[in-house]
Amino acid sequence: MSTLLQEIEAQIAGVKTSVAKQNVGTVREIGDGVAKIEGLTDVMLNEMIDFGNGIIGLALNLEETEVGAIILGDYTSIKEGQEVRTTGKLLQVPVGKGLLGRVVNSLGQPVDGKGPIKSDVSYPVEKIAPGIIKRKSVNQPVQTGIMAVDAMIPIGRGQRELIIGDRSTGKTTLGVDAMINQARINQAADAAGDKDTRRLYNIYVAIGQKQSNVARVVSVLEEAGAMPYTIVVVASASDSATNQYLAPFAGAAMGEWFMDNGMDALIIFDDLSKHATAYRQVSLVLKRPSGREAYPGDVFYLHSRLLERSARLGEKYGNGSLTALPIIETQLGDVSAYIPTNVISITDGQIYLETDLFYQGIRPAISVGLSVSRVGSAAQIKAMKQVAGRVKLELAQFRELAAFAQFGSDLDAKTQAQIERGKRIVEIFKQSQYKPIPIEVQVAVLWAGQNGYFDDIPVDRVKHAQAKMTDYLTNRKTDLMAKIAKEKALSDALTADLKAAVTEFKQTYK
Amino acid sequence: MKISKQARREAKQVFRICLANGTLDPNRVRQVVQHIIVQKPRGYVGILSHFERLVILEEHRRTAKVESAVPLSPELQSTVQNSLERVYGNGLNISFSQNPSLIGGMRIQVGSDVYDGSVQARLNALQESF
Repeated sequence: MSTLLQEIEAQIAGVKTSVAKQNVGTVREIGDGVAKIEGLTDVMLNEMIDFGNGIIGLALNLEETEVGAIILGDYTSIKEGQEVRTTGKLLQVPVGKGLLGRVVNSLGQPVDGKGPIKSDVSYPVEKIAPGIIKRKSVNQPVQTGIMAVDAMIPIGRGQRELIIGDRSTGKTTLGVDAMINQARINQAADAAGDKDTRRLYNIYVAIGQKQSNVARVVSVLEEAGAMPYTIVVVASASDSATNQYLAPFAGAAMGEWFMDNGMDALIIFDDLSKHATAYRQVSLVLKRPSGREAYPGDVFYLHSRLLERSARLGEKYGNGSLTALPIIETQLGDVSAYIPTNVISITDGQIYLETDLFYQGIRPAISVGLSVSRVGSAAQIKAMKQVAGRVKLELAQFRELAAFAQFGSDLDAKTQAQIERGKRIVEIFKQSQYKPIPIEVQVAVLWAGQNGYFDDIPVDRVKHAQAKMTDYLTNRKTDLMAKIAKEKALSDALTADLKAAVTEFKQTYK
Repeated sequence: MKISKQARREAKQVFRICLANGTLDPNRVRQVVQHIIVQKPRGYVGILSHFERLVILEEHRRTAKVESAVPLSPELQSTVQNSLERVYGNGLNISFSQNPSLIGGMRIQVGSDVYDGSVQARLNALQESF
């Protein structure tokens, strides 16, 4: 017994309490969410700094004698002379499916009062985008449910498509519609027990927006049953600029988790103009040199590194994707301003919304001439390509002829017919908000439009006829619609069936 | 007072002149300051104040503060001094002081590195872990 005691005593005497080395600094200046800290000789760029009381900061500026850090959280309780510590960690946010259906802030903390978030995985907020080897070209569609977009400006999974327009032209609505449509497709697949359909999860990042706007979007998503497939990241106008600056990166980290785990996600940044403004504020307070319009020199890199993180991964790397829909608000339609041109050049195309069209009643107010999708056509389903292949060109021709016809000169029959057809196509593309249209219905209606089935209906009745036709096709021709959705192409047999169905409808329609 | 970039650069140069084998040479510092005051080059007040700041930071970097709850025995002091010099090299200004609020143990700060083995620090860590 005594030998055992001696043994233990010897072991205990051998144990020394180790003291870890810490690196500390002193707060020299504090204000506007930014602290200047002296000391911290071992601090790394973008490292988290512990201010005590659960407040953390991020080291953004490493200078000769001091460190500039942004503070996440309440900076009013921090005092000059206070001691701070390095943590050796990067800023991380919780990720995973536990976040679906939740509203979180830019640190991934819940703000919806639904209790703590169940998540055991965290991702760093700043992450290097996947490289060339991991990527694959875009070849699967994102069905937005907006006919004009799916037909003329198709978006593929892994694409970055900018939504740009003046205030109140329906930019957010376009994004919300796309999210609702994904929820609709996911719900249908869940109900059918279909495991093959690739679900697309939504992440909505609200940057610098009014809380009331965010609440409205959340309630629309809830009403449409889209919340179970959606994560909402909020850094509202009343949050600090530092949180607004971090929010899209936090959202991108949440999306990357889906991508890395072989799933698909759609992220909407609403909007990046306010993000650039928040970053400008942070940079100016940090006394970084300012450039054009007082934006810092790295405002391009800010957005390029963010949007570069959306990608389509190859089969070997899980086959996941992250599609980004950044939103930019222009002033008086000026797309040649600094931030809009930056983001236009980064993205793979843009959807341009015009105030004039909006007030003419053409909603969504998509300007066909200025909107492009650089990679999405590879992802469009064959049936849509068959019916919509020439629509964009025809609409452009219609615009030109319509402008020409305003001079009142007599027109030949062919031109007249083209103008009449164009007017009807414009009508067909009009769509009310929060009502996405399934792709098979889009194909059938466009086919009818292309083949002149609306030509004898007065322009102001086209919308009515379209609604009736949609009703007829979805309720009475369910099999045909299911077939189009399944085959994803209009074979000769299907075309004949479709023709018969539409002819039958025309006979009954008055 | 706003110190111009030029003044900062010159102060940095002056500071480098004062370094001998990586440590600050007090005699050179005195000489340099005397020289600048006599010569009065352009923006010399700025140069001097930035130089002062650099010297303060360097001093801070080479200063070791050893705090303990109870006075340390001379043997222990020399052990601490030796081990610190082994890590940080010669030329450290070591100051020993007492701080009863530590409750027990020792807290050593060299520049911005802190080795906190005090009871108070562990209590704080325990409190944060809850």
